[in-house]
Amino acid sequence: MLEYAWLIPVFPFAAFILIALLPKRTLWWEDGAVYAIGGALGAMCLSFLVVWDVVMGDTLIDGSQRFEWLVVGDFSVTFGIWIDQLSAVMLVVVSVVGTLVVFYSGGYMHGEGETRRRYYAEIMLFISVMYGLVIADNYLLMFIFWELVGLCSYLLIGFWYERPSAASAAKRAFIVTRVGDIMFMAGIIILFKYVGSLDFADLFSGAGVAAVPSDMMILATALIFGGAIGKSAQFPLHEWLPDAMEGPTTVSALIHAATMVKAGVYLTARSYPLLVQAPESLLFVAAIGGITALVAATAALAQNDIKRVLAYSTISQLGYMTLGLGAGGYLVIHADSAAGYSAATFHLMNHAFFKALLFLCAGSVIHAVGTNDMRQMGGLGKVMKITSLTMLIGSLAIAGMPPLSGFWSKDEVLAAVWHAGEFDPAFMMLWVMGIATAFLTAFYMFRMWFMTFAGEPRSDYHAHESPRIMTVPLMILAGLAVVSGFALFIGDGFKAFMEGSIDGLLAGAGHESVFDVAVEIFTDPLTYLTLALAIVGIVLAWRMYYVPGFDRSVFAKGFNGKLQRALENRWYISKFYDDFAIKVVYAASLVADAFDRHVIDGIVNGFAYLGGNMGQVLRRLQNGNVQRYTGLIVVGICLLLILVLYVLPWGGW
Amino acid sequence: MIPIEYWLVFSSLLFVIGAYGVLTRRNAIVVLMCIEIMLNAANINLVMFSSYHSTLHTTVDSTGQVFALFSIAIAAAEVAVGLAIILSVYRRYQTVDVDKINILRW
Amino acid sequence: MLEGIPILSLVILVPLIGAFVTLGLGRYGKQARVVALAFSALAFVLSLLMTYEFVTDPTSEATGYHNGYQFYEEYAWSDSLGVSYIVGIDGISLPLFVLTTLLCMLAILFSWDTEKRQKEYFGLMLILEVGVLGVFVSLDYFMFYVFWEVVLIPMYFMIGIWGGPKKDYAAIKFFIYTHVASLALLVAIMAMYFEAGLQTFSMEAIAAESVGFAKGVQVAIFAAMFFGFGVKLPMVPFHTWLPDAHVEAPTAGSVLLAGLLLKMGGYGIIRVAIPSLPEGASELSILMAVIGVVSIVYGAMLCLAQKDLKKMVAYSSISHMGFVLLGFATLSQVGIVAGVFMMFAHGLVTAVLFMMCGVMQHKCGTRLIPMLGGLSKRMPIAATLMTAGFLASLGLPGLVSFAAEFMVFYATFVKWSLWVLVPVVAVVVTAAYYLWALQRSMFGPMTDRIDTSHLKDMDWFEYVPVAALMALIAVFGVFPGLIFSRIDSAVEIVMRLFGGG
Repeated sequence: MLEYAWLIPVFPFAAFILIALLPKRTLWWEDGAVYAIGGALGAMCLSFLVVWDVVMGDTLIDGSQRFEWLVVGDFSVTFGIWIDQLSAVMLVVVSVVGTLVVFYSGGYMHGEGETRRRYYAEIMLFISVMYGLVIADNYLLMFIFWELVGLCSYLLIGFWYERPSAASAAKRAFIVTRVGDIMFMAGIIILFKYVGSLDFADLFSGAGVAAVPSDMMILATALIFGGAIGKSAQFPLHEWLPDAMEGPTTVSALIHAATMVKAGVYLTARSYPLLVQAPESLLFVAAIGGITALVAATAALAQNDIKRVLAYSTISQLGYMTLGLGAGGYLVIHADSAAGYSAATFHLMNHAFFKALLFLCAGSVIHAVGTNDMRQMGGLGKVMKITSLTMLIGSLAIAGMPPLSGFWSKDEVLAAVWHAGEFDPAFMMLWVMGIATAFLTAFYMFRMWFMTFAGEPRSDYHAHESPRIMTVPLMILAGLAVVSGFALFIGDGFKAFMEGSIDGLLAGAGHESVFDVAVEIFTDPLTYLTLALAIVGIVLAWRMYYVPGFDRSVFAKGFNGKLQRALENRWYISKFYDDFAIKVVYAASLVADAFDRHVIDGIVNGFAYLGGNMGQVLRRLQNGNVQRYTGLIVVGICLLLILVLYVLPWGGW
Repeated sequence: MIPIEYWLVFSSLLFVIGAYGVLTRRNAIVVLMCIEIMLNAANINLVMFSSYHSTLHTTVDSTGQVFALFSIAIAAAEVAVGLAIILSVYRRYQTVDVDKINILRW
Repeated sequence: MLEGIPILSLVILVPLIGAFVTLGLGRYGKQARVVALAFSALAFVLSLLMTYEFVTDPTSEATGYHNGYQFYEEYAWSDSLGVSYIVGIDGISLPLFVLTTLLCMLAILFSWDTEKRQKEYFGLMLILEVGVLGVFVSLDYFMFYVFWEVVLIPMYFMIGIWGGPKKDYAAIKFFIYTHVASLALLVAIMAMYFEAGLQTFSMEAIAAESVGFAKGVQVAIFAAMFFGFGVKLPMVPFHTWLPDAHVEAPTAGSVLLAGLLLKMGGYGIIRVAIPSLPEGASELSILMAVIGVVSIVYGAMLCLAQKDLKKMVAYSSISHMGFVLLGFATLSQVGIVAGVFMMFAHGLVTAVLFMMCGVMQHKCGTRLIPMLGGLSKRMPIAATLMTAGFLASLGLPGLVSFAAEFMVFYATFVKWSLWVLVPVVAVVVTAAYYLWALQRSMFGPMTDRIDTSHLKDMDWFEYVPVAALMALIAVFGVFPGLIFSRIDSAVEIVMRLFGGG
């Protein structure tokens, strides 16, 4: 089956072409949703077949199918597909979430009229290029898809382009991620120079790794991770993601929670064979992850927009994955263990399910209430039973309550970080940041849940449960959020499965049995510490946002007030970028423009002016007096004679 | 044999006198006459160098003298044309002052 | 199929005849556009036929093969001066040659509703085509220079007669500025001619001699040529004629100016300057690179400050042609091939952009970004094509410029290591000014600063050329190898001068 994996992106792409080009009346139901569903389903079926092969132990990493993209002298780029365990995890995520979101859109986008055609076309393009990104076997091919998912993100954030905020958010998202993209590009250019190929097969081989000098390896891996910083919304380039919530909620669920933002984590995981050669970069990765997790979690505390809470929580969870990958690299180097690597990828998968669920629930709520502002909601639990229940499952999962999926993966990540602390004390600090984040996560998620579903309505609305086409995907995702954590214990276990994709880096350490993994989790006191913190967070949220009578005015004044305002303003990071763009870059461009017009063009016009005026002056010599002319001729001849007879011989000619 | 330097000084003097006249006199006829003096300075040089050349190489090479004759003939034609122009200018402007005849500028 | 047919001369001749026919239409002047389109389409079809016969890996069996050139023709013209009519085409000139016939045809189509002095307008466009085609295939300095100068005249009139409010200033500035540069080129050509002392203007013959010139001589001649070609390119700081000329020129004029005339500068550097004077090129490569990088960054910064859509696009050309220069400056095979490809890519992309600026001008009556806003609602086709064009220009992978930019960066890194980060940063600025312009002109609420009551979407003669170009941009973006393979074999010959590349 694996050799047909290249067909996976073809299905959605065909749907994209059909939706974009077919005449309007042949689009049938919901302006093209049929084609979209068909494309997504086709790709999903094929993905499942491929994933099944991988689970059965088959992989396609020999680069046997190749397409020659360009050849120039000794510069040659060929593209192919690469299917291993890591790709399989991403395939599962993209296909499941993608398909469910397309179904859900059938209900959610119902009121959009003709613009649905654009919506479905863009969604299909996105799914197609996202598959492409996942199965690419070459950094350059990956970069191409990497940019194209960014394009789709841009188009879909700006879907409601008439809203100035949406148009602005789309632009910001593209530009900020492009800062990361150019770092990625610079990184792969460095690798290309030394290895002469960008194929994973060549780069990850011993010879490929050895060809890169160690300082350049550090730089290249750090730069490649720079791409992940942009795409996966890591600190300090994370502020585009909350703004990206201007797009339809389905887009937020698919692109800005489940798939595209995972691309950065995927990239980092994919680059493991290179990263483990550069421990400095690994520490950088982990530090960025830890900082991101904490900063985003704090910013989530004070948001009133339901989607922004989820956006910050996404950033925070992505920070976890990055942190896990950074720590995992140390484990690979020092302990021959894939614990951190598998934990991070495991969290990637689980998070995709429960975060897509949370976003789609939020979409359902927004669909019903007509606003994003949680201060206007409240009491929705009574009218929207399915939504509130599924969202509760999602919230419990992200808060890390056993036996939901978030518990297993978050615990694994934190355990890996703790374990890495043995090799570098910096990880101890990152671990503290990690468990602080776990506490904050539980708190803000339940703050959100209570504000939305509990209590009495705080504004005048007539909410109703969403139609079946929206709630069924919710239920499926809720089911996945419950069970996907058990992947840890199915067969040889997720950990052993993931070890398959970084075999070459592990010096034949024995696999832990599934039983050992379970024992490790339940006997570790740290598991209970994290769990206790999460429960405290939930209780605190219940006390503050459910039980009436809590006086929130303590957040209004003094240091608390300042902190509250800083959180509401997202630590002023966004404002800093705005100021930077306007007051530095734009101002510099205005200076350059003035310089161009007045100085450079001024010199040009000055020459023209000089030419004109010189004519005016020289014209006076031509006064018609022949005797004057003759006089000048005589003087000229004398000067020439002096030149030829005396000056030139003196100069040696 | 008169030394060549004498001839050179003589022709230079003639040339300079002619040039001085061309540059300073206002009357077009006088300017024309001065041009003739300059031409004759050149003719003297031609003849002189021709003879000097013959003496030096003990041959008879009269090319220079032939050229002097040419030059005299052409000078005669030139005088005729020049005087004709001056005459027609005088008819048109009632003057032969070269400072006044300056409409051909710019 | 083309055995024995002087196809290159034929392609040049067709628009020339077309120009005479168009200019001589007399009272049938209204049909000028049809006649001009027919002749330019014929030239395009012939050039396609030629492309079909062009072999990627030239062997002696190829039609009219001669030292790497194909469809080679040589006729003596003036033996005493050593002037002959030599034309030939290779992988470097082929993309530009076909681009020329294509863009001229589309530009004529795009000007379908021109009303002012149609005969002259379309006739001049065809003459321009003749000049540009001639530049791209001439292999004789004398012919090259003649064609080079021929191009100036129709463009001067196009700006001066059909231009905007400041057309007189722009036209004369364009003419004098580029003419001064041409004189530097003329001096360089003369220096080569006399220094080689072969009594021939044939590029090949002179190049065979000139590679052996003393280093000082090479540097001096190369500097003069570089100035001559660089002004056309244009390079900072000799670029200020470009925004003025573009802003005032009619749309089709801008398309040809940016799409073709700028390429002549880059083409000259790679066809003449570098292969003839390799040592001079090596000596001055740092200078070229610095100018290239400055053009890239400074051009991008200037774009950010522009209020006029067309002026922004004009400045973006400076930025993108900086990539061409930077690629050439590396003097490596990858860099030069990328530079040539960038010229081709930029020709396609910038034509789309200028046409879209023209659409805005025609439909909204203004190109000032602050006056526009929210136009996607009423002009969905225009908005889509404009977005696509902007994305192509900012180097989105899958569209044509990306491969070129990536390879230029790669070549730069190989040669100058981490200095490559300077131009790389400009890529972000490029994205910023395009998307910002898009946001302000196409998105957001509908503008009330212009009268939008009669606003309609693009006419057929507007979107057909733009859509055709976008299709090509996508095709060559996905399959750049189609062109790269052809450029590559030609550049390989150049690279032999630098020790086999």
